[in-house]
Amino acid sequence: MLEGINKIGDLEWEVPIGYVPNMRVSGRFFLSRTLAETLEEGAVRQLANVATLPGIVNHSLAMPDIHWGYGFPIGGVAAFDMTEGVISPGGVGFDINCGVRLITTPLTEADLAGKKRELIERLFTAVPTGVGAKSTLRVSNKELSEVMVDGARWAVERGLGTDADLVRCEGEGAMPGADPDAVSAKARQRGVPQIGTLGAGNHFLEVQVAREIVDPEAAKAFKITEGQVCFMVHCGSRGLGHQVATDHLRTLESALAKYQIQIPDRQLACAPIDSPEGRAYYGGMVCAANYAWANRQVIMHETRTVFADLFGIDYDEMRLIYDVAHNVAKFERHDVNGTSMEVCVHRKGATRAFGPGAPGIPHEYAAVGQPVIIPGSMGTSSYLLHGTTTAMQKTFGSTCHGSGRVLSRSKAKKEVSGKELREHLAGEGILVRAHSDSALAEEAPEVYKPSREVVRVVHEAGLSKIVARLEPLGVIKG
Amino acid sequence: MSFEELDHTADVLMRVRGATLGELFADAGRAMFHVMYGPCEDRGIERQISLDAENLESLLIDYLSELLFITEVENTVFCTFDVDIQGTRLIAALRGEPFDPARHSAGSLVKGISYFGLEIVKEEEAYVVEIIFDI
Repeated sequence: MLEGINKIGDLEWEVPIGYVPNMRVSGRFFLSRTLAETLEEGAVRQLANVATLPGIVNHSLAMPDIHWGYGFPIGGVAAFDMTEGVISPGGVGFDINCGVRLITTPLTEADLAGKKRELIERLFTAVPTGVGAKSTLRVSNKELSEVMVDGARWAVERGLGTDADLVRCEGEGAMPGADPDAVSAKARQRGVPQIGTLGAGNHFLEVQVAREIVDPEAAKAFKITEGQVCFMVHCGSRGLGHQVATDHLRTLESALAKYQIQIPDRQLACAPIDSPEGRAYYGGMVCAANYAWANRQVIMHETRTVFADLFGIDYDEMRLIYDVAHNVAKFERHDVNGTSMEVCVHRKGATRAFGPGAPGIPHEYAAVGQPVIIPGSMGTSSYLLHGTTTAMQKTFGSTCHGSGRVLSRSKAKKEVSGKELREHLAGEGILVRAHSDSALAEEAPEVYKPSREVVRVVHEAGLSKIVARLEPLGVIKG
Repeated sequence: MSFEELDHTADVLMRVRGATLGELFADAGRAMFHVMYGPCEDRGIERQISLDAENLESLLIDYLSELLFITEVENTVFCTFDVDIQGTRLIAALRGEPFDPARHSAGSLVKGISYFGLEIVKEEEAYVVEIIFDI
């Protein structure tokens, strides 16, 4: 482990006050010895930098997929006092409400026999992907305002899903407090043509099989069974979210002097939560988050339609288990040193993992805790977990979001041939479809930490518990 | 003068050098389009932008963010950048071609430009800056 860090539990580490100047609280992160081998000093410094921000409550936290980002580390979680604290786009990231949803189908792997390639090709056609992808939906500027306020409900009201879907989304697929006036004309211009598009980078639409049920009782509550074919959607708020982040980061950076906030990294630009600049960012961020929920709803609808048509199954037989956000800031009530208080929780590359009985999770999951969905890297397992009381106590109800990169994109491209990778995965029965082989190389499994190790750490640390492991059968890569 | 990619696990980190500030900004633009699209040819599309900011670092971020906006909404890929900087005012003349998914899909979508570690430094013979592009 890096110097200056204290071990305080089997999988828990402390970054003491003083690791960087002006820390107000200590840092805490969760990591195994294996994952510690790839821990970057820059990521720990970023975790410590977050601890210098005004109004931070308890600790600056990071999940076991921690890695070096900008502003907050990726995998970072921090809560801020609503009066003394700040809100920062650097704690959310450019891809506001990047998130994941998981859907079950009534099919088994055998049902896909002979049709898998056709399925993947049809999904690739139905869901626009890659750089420059444009939507087949026509949305007016007025409708875009409705998307930004209503989120997934906007899509359901257009017939792109059912009311039951909404109940099974974090926050029912929309956050309150959207302020369309805080979204610039530029952001709108980017958002209009992209609704229902997957985007690029590590975003994907994946056909999977539930290979292993680890917790039968929770699996029963989530209605997932071994051998069941599922699909997973991983994407965010596209250009609209990127522009909202860019615009407000700029405003907040200029306002630092006004609020006399000293920060060690300009990417941590922030403002008091209840200031004009802070409120504007929150209102704009909510608009982008809601756009992302609508986006995933549309993509799920298109995917269901392809499955229904190709396999003769009913649309309603494809049940959304849950939809989670992993780049967002939310106002939540948490128990802090024995007192219930409202805080602004930033999760940047971290997933909400509310435990049993926590408010805001679907009634049908109340006894188990909310579903937590952790996408694997391309060709590796994804996981379904449930939230825990331990997460509520230790991490403001948060857990990891993915695997975390260990190899840069440029090295990946040098070391991995996209074509060979595609052929190798096909040999394992995993069909991959993308606009270019070069884009595949960047997302090769070996450039990420093993998702099983990241998930093992959150499971053993009690931040969430494994319910099921899913293996990929086919991937539409963004 | 040039740009080179440095090692960064999560995103793309570029070191850009320019004999003048204009060249530095021109190469920063070239670097970003290289990340996003790979090779590009001048097929006669022209575009001009002018910006003003309170300091050079903010100007660089505004300029690259503006390029991200334009490439996305106008479906244009730029390959030549002629940038004139007077104080903290910028005028850039851009040339390029329409986005073509068949030829421009080898790169990575840039989501935003990070302020982290971004500082324009004057060395003996050149201006240098390191930029993290969020992917």
